Amino acid sequence: MENVEKKLQEEAKKLLADKKVDVVIGYERGTLPLTATPVFITDAGDAEKLVYDATCVQNLAKYAHDIISAHREAQKKVKPEDRKNKVVGVVARGCTTRSLVIQLQERQYDRESIVILGVPCDGYIDPKKFNLALDGEQAAEGSVNGDQIAVKTLAGEKKFALKDVLADNCITCRFNNPVISDVVIGDKAPAKAADKEYEKVDAFEKLSTEERWAYFTKEMSKCIRCYACRNACPSCYCKVCFVEQTMPQFVGTSAEQTDTQIFQLLRTFHMVGRCVDCGSCVSVCPMGVDLRNFLKKLDKDALELFEHRAGASMEDVPPLSTYRENDKEDFIYNP
Amino acid sequence: MAMEKRLIKKGELAGIVGRIAGDMSLLAPVKEEDNVLFELVKDGVTALPDFKNTKNAPKSFFFPRSETLMRYIRKQKGMEFAGLEKDEQGERVLFGVRPCDARSFAILDLLFDQDKYKDPYYIEKRNKTTVVAMSCAKVPYATCFCTSVGGSPTSTDGSDVLLTDLGDEFLAEFLTDKGKGLLKYFGDKTADAQADKKKEEIAASAEKEIKTSIPAKEIKGFLDANFEHPFWDTIHKKCLACGTCTFMCPTCHCFDIQDEVKAADGKRVRNWDSCMFPLFTKETSGHNPRPSQKERWRQRFMHKFRYYVDMFGPIACVGCGRCVMSCPVNIDIRKIVADISKL
Repeated sequence: MENVEKKLQEEAKKLLADKKVDVVIGYERGTLPLTATPVFITDAGDAEKLVYDATCVQNLAKYAHDIISAHREAQKKVKPEDRKNKVVGVVARGCTTRSLVIQLQERQYDRESIVILGVPCDGYIDPKKFNLALDGEQAAEGSVNGDQIAVKTLAGEKKFALKDVLADNCITCRFNNPVISDVVIGDKAPAKAADKEYEKVDAFEKLSTEERWAYFTKEMSKCIRCYACRNACPSCYCKVCFVEQTMPQFVGTSAEQTDTQIFQLLRTFHMVGRCVDCGSCVSVCPMGVDLRNFLKKLDKDALELFEHRAGASMEDVPPLSTYRENDKEDFIYNP
Repeated sequence: MAMEKRLIKKGELAGIVGRIAGDMSLLAPVKEEDNVLFELVKDGVTALPDFKNTKNAPKSFFFPRSETLMRYIRKQKGMEFAGLEKDEQGERVLFGVRPCDARSFAILDLLFDQDKYKDPYYIEKRNKTTVVAMSCAKVPYATCFCTSVGGSPTSTDGSDVLLTDLGDEFLAEFLTDKGKGLLKYFGDKTADAQADKKKEEIAASAEKEIKTSIPAKEIKGFLDANFEHPFWDTIHKKCLACGTCTFMCPTCHCFDIQDEVKAADGKRVRNWDSCMFPLFTKETSGHNPRPSQKERWRQRFMHKFRYYVDMFGPIACVGCGRCVMSCPVNIDIRKIVADISKL
């Protein structure tokens, strides 16, 4: 990935210098060992700040959407003849490009508003698995060498395999190369174990209703309603989320379990055919709620009922935006 | 009168915890799935003998995430007051609090228990709770920075009892009358001058072990003079506007009061709020004086390092590093302080 990083810096620099984009959204080194953090490069001279490796976690499509919408809002206050376009460059691996496809299909902005810097992906380090591998210790220093991770903690040194701390969604990723790109960077990444994509969901489906409900309530009881999951999600872009509507207020803000469950249920159901399994919601959750299991179940439903994989291509019609005569309807309750 | 001190053998600690837990509620760091959390110790739930610090800040035991203040009944005409909410729990012990978190109690006391305003809900819980802190003889994290914000690995602020690991033994210092209430559990081996000396050595070496040093006290002048400054444009862009930092923080204490009604039964509840949320200062008119994440971040930072200092003295940050570790996009408060100091 080292070459990818270098090439990425060059391409970003060129795009900024040639004024093809106003900003490049990418990743820079974080302040903690083995972390990267979103960065917004506006000056070609800063392009060398960009990094790209297994420490890059967030799906940057979220920021592309936010920056373009904020710009559009701001332009409303400018005289029509003085309005400016804003073009946003986005460093995008497979899942990020799928999110961009969804946003484009949902007419959130024009294709001309974004320049996609497509990068191959071998998966990213799941912050929670990484912490577990350290067994309660905290990394003071760390480095990735090939497929090995070496970490220094206050208690000593630790080494483990990179593949053991890759996020679950990365291990079984079907789209680890961009589905849409303006600038293709690097060679294609080798395929992942996509055939095992629904293994966990298959097992979950076999449980009884009571067992599934028990698991759902257990997981949701951890939620502290910080909304990091929703805010990190590129498909969660409602201007005002239903949990924040106050006239009238639909959902209570106390620690009432039903309120938390309603929030998570509705967010999950809003993701049918719109979740690309980028894992951002899971990675940002401070309490380790297993959101993926439920999202993945709906993803599987969308595939089985409508032969749809979210954001897989610009030509696919999103399942909830269309109607076909042979749409399955046997799930509709018939008294 | 000299402070009561006891020495206990390492192996005796679990027994002491068990005996206290048998007599009253005892909350201690407990392993819960992948997280270490402060929880009630009971049958099948044991306090961790060795831990770094808990994921959640223990402020929630005095200032819960959601708390009923009063109840009322909806009648044909208007509402009828149905009484203030009473704390039904008895005496309790918070065991194994880190000195930084114990300091957060002392810092929150300044707000919730001040001369002109007393919060009965907070104060009652605080009075009923004995805080047994555990010194950081070994510094838990590389991100710890308590010494930069007025604390130390052996700080006694906010604690009633302070335990320090001396190697084979624990030194127990009973700092307050409330703390002395637990004396009977700690045997009768009083500490000698040698134990005091050893503790001082441990305190000094632990302080040296703290890797992060930030000029938190030196930026006050900048903050006083620069409510408007281009620097405030540089923090918030990647912020997700989630509440993780404020909910994890041991000193963040902003709340929202709501009425919840089910049929005729109403209750007034106080819930944690977060200055990071867009709804935080939204007014009834729809206007929001903090329209973007920029103003929200300035507020969070100013509140901790300027306003709280002006109002009460200490910085409203204890250097536990929870926000540094938990922020999903690595907004690092240590870096913000360091960056400001260079301006």
